Amino acid sequence: MKTSRRQHTLEVLVENEPGVLARVAGLFSRRAFNIETLNVGPTEDSTISKMVIGVGVEGHSLEQVIAQLDKLINVISIKEIVSGKIEEVNDTQPDYQN
Amino acid sequence: MKMGRHLPTPNGTEMTGATALVKSLEAAGVDVMFGLPGGAILPAYDPIFDSTIRHILVRHEQGAGHAATGYAQVTGRAGVCIATSGPGATNLVTPLMDAAMDSVPLVAITGQVPSAAIGTDAFQEADIRGITMPFTKHSYLITNPAEIPGTIAEAFHIATTGRPGPVLVDIAKDALQKMTKFNWPTSINLAGYRPQMSPTPQSITDAAALITQSSKPVFYVGGGVIKANGSKELRQLAELLGAPVVTTLMARGAFPDSHPLHMGMPGMHGTVAAVTALQKADLLITLGARFDDRVTGKLSTFAPHAKILHADIDPAEIGKNRHADVAVVGDVRLTMAALIPALRAALAKNKPDLTAWLRQMNSLKSTYPLGFDTPDDGSLSPQLVIQRIGQISGTDTIFTAGVGQHQMWASQFISYEHPRTWLNSGGAGTMGYGVPAAMGAKVGAPDSTVWAIDGDGCFQMTNQELVTCALNNIPIKVAIINNESLGMVRQWQTLFYDGRYSNTSLDSKRVPNFPMLAESMGCVGLACERPEDLDKTIEKAMSINDQPVVVDFRVHRDAMVWPMVAAGTSNDEIMIARATAPDWDSQEL
Repeated sequence: MKTSRRQHTLEVLVENEPGVLARVAGLFSRRAFNIETLNVGPTEDSTISKMVIGVGVEGHSLEQVIAQLDKLINVISIKEIVSGKIEEVNDTQPDYQN
Repeated sequence: MKMGRHLPTPNGTEMTGATALVKSLEAAGVDVMFGLPGGAILPAYDPIFDSTIRHILVRHEQGAGHAATGYAQVTGRAGVCIATSGPGATNLVTPLMDAAMDSVPLVAITGQVPSAAIGTDAFQEADIRGITMPFTKHSYLITNPAEIPGTIAEAFHIATTGRPGPVLVDIAKDALQKMTKFNWPTSINLAGYRPQMSPTPQSITDAAALITQSSKPVFYVGGGVIKANGSKELRQLAELLGAPVVTTLMARGAFPDSHPLHMGMPGMHGTVAAVTALQKADLLITLGARFDDRVTGKLSTFAPHAKILHADIDPAEIGKNRHADVAVVGDVRLTMAALIPALRAALAKNKPDLTAWLRQMNSLKSTYPLGFDTPDDGSLSPQLVIQRIGQISGTDTIFTAGVGQHQMWASQFISYEHPRTWLNSGGAGTMGYGVPAAMGAKVGAPDSTVWAIDGDGCFQMTNQELVTCALNNIPIKVAIINNESLGMVRQWQTLFYDGRYSNTSLDSKRVPNFPMLAESMGCVGLACERPEDLDKTIEKAMSINDQPVVVDFRVHRDAMVWPMVAAGTSNDEIMIARATAPDWDSQEL
């Protein structure tokens, strides 16, 4: 569990398709998750974009934010950036991205 | 996913985008769709004219959406609805939201203005993909005709796999008009969508271990068990453990009401036995349920002594409202199928004694059965009407409901023995769901009797689809439980607003004349207002099978739904009648 900290940074790979930013932003808005920062940029693969999202976790678990993000069909993978290094998200839930 | 169906149209064939759409729907196995044409979708309606797919022309797009939902709920296959751009598409908004809340596989096709006009506030332009984004499982906007077959294949795959849900495909008019080569995909591979069907062996082992440590377990069964066709496995699992079972509003029929382990429905209008079973349990074996607020009441006081075993196909439901001690992610039928041998082995080593627990629950079940008062003025009791319709029409009948008091009575006083015989709008609470859902259900199950149990308020929202039913040989039966009020709202006004009945009186015993309205729409219209006429009126309705039948049951106005856990309060504060709690002191709990 990493819910003791309130600030988390997620690196999210998404399909580079119209509407993806709206889907992510809309999800955070309607689930009352807080976006502190959001950066979107290209990757070496032109079909995939990278989002770096600063998440304020208050009243929600990070696991719930990640699980809801992962339900978006255009979201390919989610990793958490912890103190400079990138960690695969390994929460208390079973591995559903097998 | 492999697309296994044989392809009636060879790939590479030149055709319009519109023809490619219809050929794709045929390739997806669609046999019926509900819709209404308009300008932007018009190119698609030309090949629909020649298609093997039955298109049922509705009178309002909302009817198409709920009919597709009713069809999906009885068949387990995707329901399909189709509408034009702008207002045609926005009329699908409510059914899409409804299908999302109740996890119904739905594919909605909408026309969009030509791609060059998108963003110009063109005639009948609406950003339907944007509007529906919060409550579609996924959505598409197609401007290139070459993308139509692949997108339709993906839409059906996404709608029907994992946790089912609605998918919207919005297609620009020029994409329908332009020529393309048909290219139905041989397989679907979505990098960001791989629902986990099989539970991990470790989670099954953990689940079995948790169950054997429990002395007061309850099966908390949700609609997911019906979606996963898991009724047979549920019965085996419940009988193996011998623990009480409760079925939520969405799960009525997943487990036979007549089964001795069944304690009834939990929640705001659940039975005392079902609500108390959850409150006193030391373990909830949660199967395809999502800890909805209508089940939990005040969440912080819900099932305070219970550990939680949560099995669901949607990982985001795990821990959303209540922490799970053991989570099992996967198809709930496969989960139960794996759990049965694991639990049998675990019970062979350590079988908890559930005798005292079952005795307590059975005592509550027999002390506080569902019941109702018969009005002393000789008028018709709404609960009696619904109970007799259930008894006379039998357990193979499919029932739909609108939303409100009649819905709760239909969930309480009809005995459900089979899955997919109870269709209602559980999560969304969509008034007007009943009639169009019954239409779709009857199309999906033409040999079954289909009754819509509707309220006089609900009926006045969507009854126009009875015209569709009459003209398309869809002989549903509709029972209007006419208490001339928005009855559930009125009940809350009685209980919480000092009986100040602001805007809940509909006067629907004066206007409209429901039997005449029904007759004008090509249905048989009947009325009943005396208890002594009840059975013969129901039997008369049962005898008519070549036309839709509408019965105006003119019932007592002041009947209320009991038991009740008031919104925002604890399940421990369940009332069996106004200001009357169960006599807890006499119960050994």
